[in-house]
Amino acid sequence: MSGCGQASNSKVIKIGCAAPLTGDQAQIGIDKCRAVKLAVQQANEKGIGVPGYTFEVLSLDDQHNPAQAVNVAKKFVSDPDVIAVVGHFNSSCTKPASAIYHEAGMTQITATSTNPELSKQGFKTFFRIAATDDVQGPKGAEFAAHHLAAKKVFIIDDKTTYGKGLADEFERKSKSLGVEVLGHEGITQGDKDFTPLLTKIKSLNPDLIYFGGIYPEGALLLRQARSLNLVSEFMGGDGLTTPVFVELASAEIAEGTYATMVGGDMKKVPSAQSFIKAYEAQYGEIGQWSAYGYDAANILIQAIQKAGKKNRAAVLDAMRQIPSFQGVTGEVVFDEKGDNKNQFIGIFKVEKGKFIYIGPAE
Amino acid sequence: MTARDVFIQQVTNGLTIGMIYALIALGYTIVYGIIQLINFAHGEVFMVGAYLSLFAFTLFSGFFSGTGGSIFFLVLIFLFAMLGTSLIGLMVERFAYRPLRGAPRLAPLITAIGVSFLLQNSVMLIFGPTDKSFPNLIETKKISFGAVTLTNLQILIAVVSLSLMIILHIFIKKTKTGKAMRALADDREAASLVGINTNRIISIAFLIGSALAGAGGVMFGMYYHTINFHDGYLAGLKAFTAAVFGGIGNIPGAMIGGLLLGILEGVSAGYLSSEWKNVFAFLILILILLFRPSGLLGSRVVKKV
Amino acid sequence: MRKTSRRRIKKKKRSNFFSEIKSVFSFKSTLLILFIFILPLLDRNAYHIDVLVTAGIFMLLALGLNVIVGSAGILNLGYAALFAIGAYTYALVNIHLHIPFWIGLWVSAFSAAFFGMILAFPAIRLTGDYIAMVTLGTGEIVRIMLNNLDPITGGPNGLLGIEHPTLWIYDFGVHSTPYYFLIFALLILIIFILKRIESSRLGRAWIALREDELAASCMGINPVWAKLSAFGIGGFIAGIAGSIFAAKQGTISPDSFDFVVSVTVLAMIVLGGLGKISGVITGALALSLLPELLRGFDLYRMLLFGLAMIIIMLFRPQGILGEHHQEEFKENLFERKTSQ
Repeated sequence: MSGCGQASNSKVIKIGCAAPLTGDQAQIGIDKCRAVKLAVQQANEKGIGVPGYTFEVLSLDDQHNPAQAVNVAKKFVSDPDVIAVVGHFNSSCTKPASAIYHEAGMTQITATSTNPELSKQGFKTFFRIAATDDVQGPKGAEFAAHHLAAKKVFIIDDKTTYGKGLADEFERKSKSLGVEVLGHEGITQGDKDFTPLLTKIKSLNPDLIYFGGIYPEGALLLRQARSLNLVSEFMGGDGLTTPVFVELASAEIAEGTYATMVGGDMKKVPSAQSFIKAYEAQYGEIGQWSAYGYDAANILIQAIQKAGKKNRAAVLDAMRQIPSFQGVTGEVVFDEKGDNKNQFIGIFKVEKGKFIYIGPAE
Repeated sequence: MTARDVFIQQVTNGLTIGMIYALIALGYTIVYGIIQLINFAHGEVFMVGAYLSLFAFTLFSGFFSGTGGSIFFLVLIFLFAMLGTSLIGLMVERFAYRPLRGAPRLAPLITAIGVSFLLQNSVMLIFGPTDKSFPNLIETKKISFGAVTLTNLQILIAVVSLSLMIILHIFIKKTKTGKAMRALADDREAASLVGINTNRIISIAFLIGSALAGAGGVMFGMYYHTINFHDGYLAGLKAFTAAVFGGIGNIPGAMIGGLLLGILEGVSAGYLSSEWKNVFAFLILILILLFRPSGLLGSRVVKKV
Repeated sequence: MRKTSRRRIKKKKRSNFFSEIKSVFSFKSTLLILFIFILPLLDRNAYHIDVLVTAGIFMLLALGLNVIVGSAGILNLGYAALFAIGAYTYALVNIHLHIPFWIGLWVSAFSAAFFGMILAFPAIRLTGDYIAMVTLGTGEIVRIMLNNLDPITGGPNGLLGIEHPTLWIYDFGVHSTPYYFLIFALLILIIFILKRIESSRLGRAWIALREDELAASCMGINPVWAKLSAFGIGGFIAGIAGSIFAAKQGTISPDSFDFVVSVTVLAMIVLGGLGKISGVITGALALSLLPELLRGFDLYRMLLFGLAMIIIMLFRPQGILGEHHQEEFKENLFERKTSQ
């Protein structure tokens, strides 16, 4: 059953971009959608796609709110010009939205949602290029145990599908490696004052604090921990790896923070250089997630070109037939669940005010 | 870190935020005491204060480099923010509340909520929706008392807040205007009959309350280092809780209420659970209203039978 | 003689039934109702219908809140809590017990009514601004509980997989049109019942309570019962709105039930004309359509919303359709803590 919209005769093929575009996580959402726009712009310039049609991007804001994400999905689905969606950003949004896209037979590719549950729903419309947290969490735990000599850890998460999922994976693996987990508590997104919790953590004296969550709360946690003289190592997941984290925490305080990222160092990939240049020329400083948005959009564009027509079902079929895709974030090969077979986890560390790639997570 | 250390740390952290709550609460209580209006927009005024100080920083940082002028710079930022928030408070009172003094009870409340939306979204449009990083206005130094850590920032907040509260207290008790405010709070009709200019005094009440909230906003920004246009809502709600806690209309009550609320919040979050921190704050509010509506120190509002 | 009297009695009986309906539905409103039902056939744009469905849910909420604030005169700033309880109740009984919508609707309506009545208890002792703060606090507490009780409520991620209503073999699905008819049918029914209550003893008890609680209790009206029933009925309607919302969305999360929602509904009834059913419906419709009309100015939406609230209150504090007698509302009910 496709959407309830009427057939459209316009010569525009729209690619949807769903992410938080306002609110505290707006920066990463904007980073992603800008890259999608760049990909589309370049495709139009090169004449890639369906002959006679131009691409456009329709960006809609889900404010990392699951119910809002459902509305956004419904809007996309009911717009006959929208053929596929790059979205959503947060796993808690991608999950409910994926049901809508599935019902409508519309291709959905997420560049950034890492929760493993998403691909286990059996939706043929679901695709993802980022690695999953059941790989990211354990690899982070291994790194912490082996390379950071962390014997006692305290785990914090932001209670979202993503944050809690990642933190749980980290906890499980840490325990199996013999690391003592001193505690695991949740905080609420949007909260500002974590000093009571951090005071409690300080009295437990862990070697490392692991945070499953996104950079606004991450930065606050780190700042307040340091101002309490809490000297434990601080580590997180891909939700932290953005320049805004360093900005909010201040370069001085963020120095030495570790984070896993569902990808490697973009700067090392030769094909990425022209992308980075083009992005920076148009938008300024590049965000951590821009490359993923770019790759996701380009995969869609390739599928649409392969399908040869403005038709959701045809595009979906074409998606499933792409053997592999070389993107700026690396090679993407989809498995039957829609996940990326290449699950590369990189370790990043903040050095001199920037997140530097220090190696793959072993 | 001993259990006693943990407790002291929780209390000092709680006191810090409590001071800021107290400053905001004063604005609520002064206004409510005189015109019985819950100024819903007050929390946003606080938030605007934080943003104004950020703005002042970017505006004037060119003139101040090196540590020589840093105290002066800090004072300038405070004054800029407080002046700005006072103006906003005055304008809101003059144009949104004053015309509605005789209107149905709900009208000024709706207006207040409208003003709150207006302020919040204006800030969002001007400064952007993402968290804004607040620069270090003073170099943070940590001072340790054993395992308990204080920052010079916390001491600054305490000093500034207490000074402002003391100044306010003297103002209310000793000056003519302060006496006029107390008179208005006691009996508005009688006060105007003895020649007190009601409108002027009410404006001054808003001015004072907004200035204090502005100062609170600056310190909030300095303490948390990030500000967001949503900060006003929750802080405002908690500050109102604090005002009711201490006794609505009662100025020392608002101060005590703010400090106590900060401590209670911190302690409950530290020993029970962080997630439920705000629930404790609201539960306190409800219990106070149910069992001791006049608050800890007794409320001071017009009582007409 | 007997024949005619019997005939006259028969006539009276029939006209009673029709006059009942006529007293509620004038010719104008009947036309309006017909128009509402034909509308989806004339305008087939799914997006428009969806907007109207959202407006319809808000109209339900406005009617419910109006019972508490407008009819009974108790200021409630936490109505979203009852809306949330309705939505989550239906979601939970549907997901875990597979209870279908048409029964779940009743379950959630009664549970929201129940919670409403619990909320009424503080209202018995407090008046005016104090009860406003209590309701505000409870509204926030409910939202935080929904956010924190992860195992039950799904925490900030909410609940997924809520079933849509089905009518025999017809699944409502995600199309807006069946919800449109459902909501407007319910609206008409509820308006009818509310108007009946308005002219009943309970309705008059509310008016007395609203105007002067002390005098009302002196006249023999039990304020406790009046307040309980106001909250109960207000809650019941919120529960209905909540379950429809949950069933339509398929996903609910605590963010949809925050203070902004409570305030929006309050603004709708005040701006439209507090106490009057036609007023609150108009207010709900206007404030629901306004953001959609301003969709081009997405970023400015809430700003203009706030501005609209201020301007309307300045120029027409009794609301668009409100009546002037409302200005006789006492300026502040705080000092009338008369139940002590």
